[in-house]
Amino acid sequence: MKPQLEMAIEQTDVLIAGSGAAGMRAAIAAHDAGANVIVLAKGPRRANHTRMSGGRYNAVSGLNRKDSTDAFFRDTLDSGAGINNYELTKILAEEAMDRAYDLEEYGLTWDRTAQTQYYLSMTGGGSFVRTMGSVDEGIGITEVMLHQLHARGIKILDFHMLAEVIQDDSGRVAGGLVLDLSRGVWHYFSCAAVVIATGGTSQLYETSSGPIINTGDGIAIALRAGAELVDIEFMQFIPISFVYPPSARGYTLTEPAHYGMRHFDPQGEPAHLLNNKGERFVLKHDPVRREGSTRDVLARAIMLEILEGRGTPEGGVLMIPDPRVFESFLKERPIYVKRLLENYGEGEARLEAPIQVMPSALYTLGGVRIDAWCRTNVPGLLVGGEAAGGVHGANRLGGSSMPDIQVFGRRAGMAAAEEARTVGVESARGLEKARARAEQLEAGLRQPDGVRPPEVKKRIQKLMWDHVGLVRSGPKLEETLRAFRDTREHVLPSLKVTNRSRILNREWMEALELENLLDIAEAMASASLLRKETRGAFYRTDFPETDPEWTANICVQRQGRNLRLDKRPVATLEAAKPNHSLFAAAGAR
Amino acid sequence: MNQAIALPRNTTRQAEALLHGEIARILHRITGAVVVIFVLVHVLAQAVLHAPALASLKAGAPWLPVLQSQHWIHAVLYFSIAFHTLYGLKLLAVDLGARLDYRRSLWVIIGLSAVIGIREVLRYAGI
Amino acid sequence: MSITVTAEIRRFDPSRDSEPRYDRFQVTGAENMRVLDVIRSIYEEQAGDLAFQFACRIGRCGTCAVRVNGTPVLACQERCKSHMRIEPLTPFPVLRDLVIDRSEIEERYAGLALAPSRETAHPGRPEPIDPKLAEHICHLDSCLACMVCVSACPAVEERPFDGPAFMLKLRQMAEHPADRTDRLQQAVGAGMLECFGCDVCTQLCPADLSPAQAIREFRKELLFGGRG
Repeated sequence: MKPQLEMAIEQTDVLIAGSGAAGMRAAIAAHDAGANVIVLAKGPRRANHTRMSGGRYNAVSGLNRKDSTDAFFRDTLDSGAGINNYELTKILAEEAMDRAYDLEEYGLTWDRTAQTQYYLSMTGGGSFVRTMGSVDEGIGITEVMLHQLHARGIKILDFHMLAEVIQDDSGRVAGGLVLDLSRGVWHYFSCAAVVIATGGTSQLYETSSGPIINTGDGIAIALRAGAELVDIEFMQFIPISFVYPPSARGYTLTEPAHYGMRHFDPQGEPAHLLNNKGERFVLKHDPVRREGSTRDVLARAIMLEILEGRGTPEGGVLMIPDPRVFESFLKERPIYVKRLLENYGEGEARLEAPIQVMPSALYTLGGVRIDAWCRTNVPGLLVGGEAAGGVHGANRLGGSSMPDIQVFGRRAGMAAAEEARTVGVESARGLEKARARAEQLEAGLRQPDGVRPPEVKKRIQKLMWDHVGLVRSGPKLEETLRAFRDTREHVLPSLKVTNRSRILNREWMEALELENLLDIAEAMASASLLRKETRGAFYRTDFPETDPEWTANICVQRQGRNLRLDKRPVATLEAAKPNHSLFAAAGAR
Repeated sequence: MNQAIALPRNTTRQAEALLHGEIARILHRITGAVVVIFVLVHVLAQAVLHAPALASLKAGAPWLPVLQSQHWIHAVLYFSIAFHTLYGLKLLAVDLGARLDYRRSLWVIIGLSAVIGIREVLRYAGI
Repeated sequence: MSITVTAEIRRFDPSRDSEPRYDRFQVTGAENMRVLDVIRSIYEEQAGDLAFQFACRIGRCGTCAVRVNGTPVLACQERCKSHMRIEPLTPFPVLRDLVIDRSEIEERYAGLALAPSRETAHPGRPEPIDPKLAEHICHLDSCLACMVCVSACPAVEERPFDGPAFMLKLRQMAEHPADRTDRLQQAVGAGMLECFGCDVCTQLCPADLSPAQAIREFRKELLFGGRG
């Protein structure tokens, strides 16, 4: 008889996958609501996407008299091309500032011009100056939050990858199957609620801005658990990013608006973008806002220019910054200036020389469908942050991700704690299913023949970049879906793992990630085929116009081995079911 | 216009750089040892030279005048005293709040100490 | 322009090896490639069992620190050299090959209680802080916790001293207007006085910070009293 797979069994109220700001904020909220919390980080806890962020934070602070939460709400809907989940968007606009005060309480000293006057700047696509920030950017945000977790004694497990969510026979979450990568040992955590805060899917693409760990694990796990995805076909590409050196390629340089006078003044001039003929090609796409346009328009314009052969030899276009902005840029974002210096040179760092840029996959606009409290249609499964969909619609405003993860991280934590209070945890419930799944995932370790995971990942990344990226079309999407099906049937079952060690087996980890990447890639390509229009970040050459019939959301759900796609009307405020009953009496803080 | 404002550092060649702090620390240690050894040797030598009780040793210690006539030993000694003192003063100064650049201050101190050491050699050589 | 470089990487698997060994590799790539690019190429083409850590690859997560030719650096930031000896960061325990165990590091951070110990709850409106002080605190808060300074510090090697990085974070708290804890006492308890003032930490910090300066501020406070 085969020996039983070794598995460490533990128990907690709330299991949080992801150590970025959404996961950490959920941990703080759940802990403060009285729950036992464990946070899982796939690698060292500081390795997350929040860390890499420029830390810009959109909020209505009251310092700009012209602005209001309604204006923020409308800007987000406008940028989202009207397919946002109105309720989620409204919550974002209303709660962003309170969460900014929370961060200040945690120790983050927001940039200011006077003792109580926060320093505000513009973001591409917003109509009022409302963006806060701090010089330590995403690094500062993650650091102050981490120390809040330490202060509360919340357990954080580094190198612990959530591999699957285990459900009981009724479909309710029973626990999480976790692989301790530092030892190659399986753990099963019985819990009442799992919060998925694993970030986005930027690693699906050949050129991306995110960290290597963002392989969409949580979204795929949710999909496999029966959760619905929404807007999964929408991927935001940052218009400008580094072109070289190889390690920096794809890392965001934010937006051309920040490299010109438009940084301070909505009427000011953004940095110009030129092709290899010296033409300002963006003017033909958005003659009004020009290079101060939203990310979707800009990214598309640049990509088309490069595809049509008018890019630089290295595969980018040129951005001409305004040297007058250098002093503020240096003061506000010294880390970006440092990177410009180290990757490009002194002229570029001083904003005196043209800067070579290219688009890059940045942010997963869609994700798991959630309600106002981050609950999914799977009882006990909650999702917050980039892994969730609906807040930003078809295109996200720069500076809106930071408040999103705070607002919805907190809500996910509160709802998860509530789940633990009402449902409770049953020790080792679901253990058999966990063992069975672990056995399946162990198979990858024993495979001596086939293709290595890094190679398969590159193939998928290239297919996604070429056909399910900035520029899509029906025939190419179908071709790509066939390639994915082929990969799933013939390549995935025989992935070769040359590494014999169980400790930090990167090939094995990548094999696990590949299944997640493929699940989402298929969902993205399928939903893309269904949406016959162009909207926000989603562009089809065969349907280049926006179709009012498609002011709708596509929801994707697993049905056995197939995907069921549903076109649903947009969740406007009238359509939102009152969902506050859980906390109305408690007077949630 | 922008040239006046200092850029952040380019820290992509750290493994190729001279670690000033390592040099400073090692030199401070070596010069400290030199000074201590000198004091010990000096005390012993003076005792042998001048204490009547040790007169018998004096006769059998021809090495002492040979040592004393090596100009480079004097140079090393003067360099050591100068470096150890100046660097020690630098550490004190920055602890008290002086803003000194760690690279420039090291080279200045090495330079001054070298001058003092070399001056000693030249003096002995009759220059 | 492409070049060929040689990398000697320290390999050690505590679950299978009795002692470490050095494996030699040659990698061809862009002339401006970083040490991390070299390591990743080796993993992808030559040694699929190599254990190494990175995430952001642009110098912000601080988790890719290794020793290159004896000097601790961020692998993603350090330019490749024609010959590189790549080893894990000392003096930390090694999980495998180039990856260190950070548990003790995190325990030390947790033990220092680096969240501001506030007297009152947040008022729900902007808290008054001098703009220059806010900026200064943010700069200190940009520390990546990469451990390059701790690894390079000669005092950490020889004396009971937690390390420059911890001193820097303590100083950040000492200067934070909302914090009430005696951070000087904590710093002294963590070995602050053992610092040689050599500034190797200042030279090697990938975030352009100076832990040595933070220590000097503490020393001034020790001598002259008063908060920084």
